[in-house]
Amino acid sequence: MALGFNHKLEQQQEPAFFVRGPSPFARLVFFSALSLALIATDSRLQYLSTVRQHLVAILHPLQVIANAPSQLYQNVTEYFSTQNRLVSENKQLRQQALENNVALQKLNTLTLENSHLRGLLKTNQALAETSVLGEVMYVGRDLFRKKNILNRGTQHQIIAGQAVVDATGVIGQVTRVFPYSSEVTLITDKALAIPVQIERNGLRAIAFGRGRDNTLDIPYLPANVDIKTGDKLVTSGIDGVYPAGLAVATVTKITATPDSAYARITCTPTGGIENHRHVLIVSMPIKNEVPSQEVETSQNTLPTSNKKESGQTKIKKAANLTEKPIKPNATQ
Amino acid sequence: MPHNNFKTVYISLLVALICLLVPWSGLALKARPDFLLLVVIFWLIRAPNLCNIGTAWLVGLIADLASGGIFGQYALAYTVTAFFGVVYQRRLVLFNHTQQLLYVFILLLISQFTLLILKVFSGAEVWGWSYFLPSFTGILLWRLAVLFGLNTGGRARGT
Repeated sequence: MALGFNHKLEQQQEPAFFVRGPSPFARLVFFSALSLALIATDSRLQYLSTVRQHLVAILHPLQVIANAPSQLYQNVTEYFSTQNRLVSENKQLRQQALENNVALQKLNTLTLENSHLRGLLKTNQALAETSVLGEVMYVGRDLFRKKNILNRGTQHQIIAGQAVVDATGVIGQVTRVFPYSSEVTLITDKALAIPVQIERNGLRAIAFGRGRDNTLDIPYLPANVDIKTGDKLVTSGIDGVYPAGLAVATVTKITATPDSAYARITCTPTGGIENHRHVLIVSMPIKNEVPSQEVETSQNTLPTSNKKESGQTKIKKAANLTEKPIKPNATQ
Repeated sequence: MPHNNFKTVYISLLVALICLLVPWSGLALKARPDFLLLVVIFWLIRAPNLCNIGTAWLVGLIADLASGGIFGQYALAYTVTAFFGVVYQRRLVLFNHTQQLLYVFILLLISQFTLLILKVFSGAEVWGWSYFLPSFTGILLWRLAVLFGLNTGGRARGT
């Protein structure tokens, strides 16, 4: 590029009318080839991900400048919010905290009971997951994808693959991490699939994003499957990404066409996919943290049977847990 | 009145980039004009010795970075658009404002169309006509800029 500019600078001195360096067509071919090479490299190989990370970090100050007006507007409106509103909000939050505390007490005893039972059954202990609070900086600019950019990045120990939830349900998954920001692919994105199970009967399935409208699809279930409209979908937790028992979506429409063996099931996400600003980035506990004695017990049994067993207990655990912690959230 | 030198070109591009980085959402995001491309087209018409296909490619690369998509998509779209801009540059300067506006509109459509083809190849869904909304808001912005005294090189005759 620099060479090209120098070249052009030199030409500026000549009073040449028609001389403009290489012909536009030559330039078009050259830069188009370069772009196509970039597209191929970026979509098939992983070389450019670190380059992108550094460049996005360079772009960060500009992003801060661009965010400044809306940030200022928010701060000003927050400053001038009336005392009346604050008092009522405070009251509401207090009541909510009380309700949550009661639910939490139940949860504590249940977790304890669960870990005892797991101990008796000699299965893996459920591990506590850690979370980081993040804020949505802006909605992804690529209109073909459903993405949000959060203000947390590698500097805040975020890693790609973490689940992102809000108070009402799952939002999506961290797909790219930059130094000061991270990109969350929403569950409604076409490229994202999320393992779910139906809260009512524990049936497991995989939900895919629709892409255009904010809905999810469950494509590969037979037409006679036991699903009703209004059924709640929760994460099954068997993928190692999403903690089990988080609300995902509600079934809104089921159409069974006679020419297809599969039912068309449409669901709407429970979480505030495009309206909440504050989200929680949840990470599943890393496998290395599993206590050593559990690893030994799992090695004793056959790997396949063990997997099945742990899967089943997980479902039971999810069924236990979802009733308690999700419900107070759903009433919010 | 902007002076034709590299500093002005790059400062205007920087301002356009900041406009792009503003957290747009909802309908505003769908209708947001392509600020960077508009600035590139402006300089292509006004000073092709300062801003050429190479500049357009580089700016496209920055747009790729900002959009978070695959590298090279905007770069290719801007390159193709800049080519059609440069080829007719000499005539564009002689056009009156309305003719120029029409041609800018066509250029914006070319860019969006190239992008659409690339996106569809990479598996995106085709939208309705609302996809081309940024082209309309783009020429609206162009027209406003001309009304507020930006010299795009077009002659006032016939308008």
